[in-house]
Amino acid sequence: MNKDKRGSWYLLTALILGVASGLVYAWVVEPVEYVDAPPSALRQDFKDQYRALIAVAYMYSGDLQRAEYRLAALQDADIIQTLAMQAQQALAEGRPETETRALGLLAVAVGQGPAPVAGSSATLPAPASQAAPSVTSTRMQTSPTLVESLEATGTPVSTLRTPQPPNTPLPTRSPTPSATPGAPFVLQSAAQTCNPNLERRLEVEILDAAGQPVPSVELVVTWPGGEEHFFTGLKPDMGLGYADFTMNSGVVYALMVAAGSQPVENLTPVECEADDESRFWGGWKLVFVQP
Amino acid sequence: MSRWVKFLLVLVFGIAAGMIYGWYVNPVEYIDIAPGSLREDYKTDFVLMTAEAYQVDQDLGIAVRRLAQLGDTPPVETVALAIAFALENQYAAADLALMQALGEAALTWNPGVELQTP
Repeated sequence: MNKDKRGSWYLLTALILGVASGLVYAWVVEPVEYVDAPPSALRQDFKDQYRALIAVAYMYSGDLQRAEYRLAALQDADIIQTLAMQAQQALAEGRPETETRALGLLAVAVGQGPAPVAGSSATLPAPASQAAPSVTSTRMQTSPTLVESLEATGTPVSTLRTPQPPNTPLPTRSPTPSATPGAPFVLQSAAQTCNPNLERRLEVEILDAAGQPVPSVELVVTWPGGEEHFFTGLKPDMGLGYADFTMNSGVVYALMVAAGSQPVENLTPVECEADDESRFWGGWKLVFVQP
Repeated sequence: MSRWVKFLLVLVFGIAAGMIYGWYVNPVEYIDIAPGSLREDYKTDFVLMTAEAYQVDQDLGIAVRRLAQLGDTPPVETVALAIAFALENQYAAADLALMQALGEAALTWNPGVELQTP
C-alpha cells in the first residue's frame, strides 16, 4: 500500500538529479571550448591591441585593402570612429608614438578610401601553382628554416593543416602623405572665426610645401598650468591636415607644431554676434605650411 | 523491472539530456576570448602583423609580448607554426620572408632581459 502511494516520484527525482548532473558537467566541468574563434569574439582590450597591431602593420605595408580586411574581422560598428577614438585614447594614455600615429594614419586612410597603388606587380597573390616554387626558393635562401627546426622537435606540423579561406593579398606600398623631414612649419595665417557650430574652437590646418594637407602632425597647445597634445587627421571628414581643440573662455592659449614652429600666442575665444544679435564664443583658425 | 533499475535508467537519461542541452542547445558562450583561441588563419595573420610591426618599430620586446598573447609556446615556435600554416596555404613569399625575419630575430631574444613596458 505504501509502495503504491509513493507512485513515480522517485523517477522524477532521478530525472532532476540526472539533468542537473549533466548540466554541471556540460557547463562547468567540461564546457564547450572555442578554439576557432574570430577576432570579433576577442575581449575588448585584446580587440584594441589587435586594432593597434593592424594599424602598425599598415604603417609598414601601406596596404589599405589588407588593413580593411583585417579591421572587418573585428566587426566594429564604425571603423573610422573607433580608430580615431582609439588614437585619441592611446595619446591620452601615453602609448608609444608609433602606435598613436599608426592609428591616426589608418583612420585617415580608411576615411579616404582606397589609395592609388604604387606598383602593379605586387597587388594580387600569384596563382597557387606559381606561388609555391617562389615560396620554396625564398625559404632556401634564408636560414635557419624554422619549420624544419619545428619538425625536428617533434611538433606535429601536420595537425596544423586545416582548410581555411585563401590568404590575404600581398602587401602593396602606397604613398602616405607625410611632412618633409626636418623642415619646420611656419604660420601662414591666423584668423578669428565666428561659427556658432564651432564655438571656442581652435582649428589648425597643416599643409606641406606642395600645399597638400599632412596627417599625423603633432600639435602642442599650452595654457597657464596645462598642456595638451593632439594630432592632425583624426577627423578625416574635415581633411587630412585638420585638427581642432576646444578652448575655455577666459583662458589664453599658445599653440605650436611639435615638429618645429614658432609658438602662436594669445589665443583665446573671441566674442561674436549672430545675425539675431545674440552673442556666442568664436574661435581661431591657424594655417601652418612648410616653406 | 526493479525500482532501482528504473531510477538509474531515468538518471542516465537525465544526465544525457542535461549534457545535450549544455553542449549543443545552450552551450557556454565565450565572448571575451584571448588571441590564443583565434582560428589558425587568424593566428597566422596575427603573427604576420607582428612581423610587419616589427619592421616598423624594430622592438623585439614588443614583438615577443605580442606573440605571447597567442599562448604559452615560445615565440620562435609560435612563428614556426605560423610559417608552417602559411606555407601550407601558399602565402605570398614576401609575407613568409617577414615572418622568417621575425622568427630569426626571436631566436636571439633573451627572456631574462627586462622588457620595456609599451
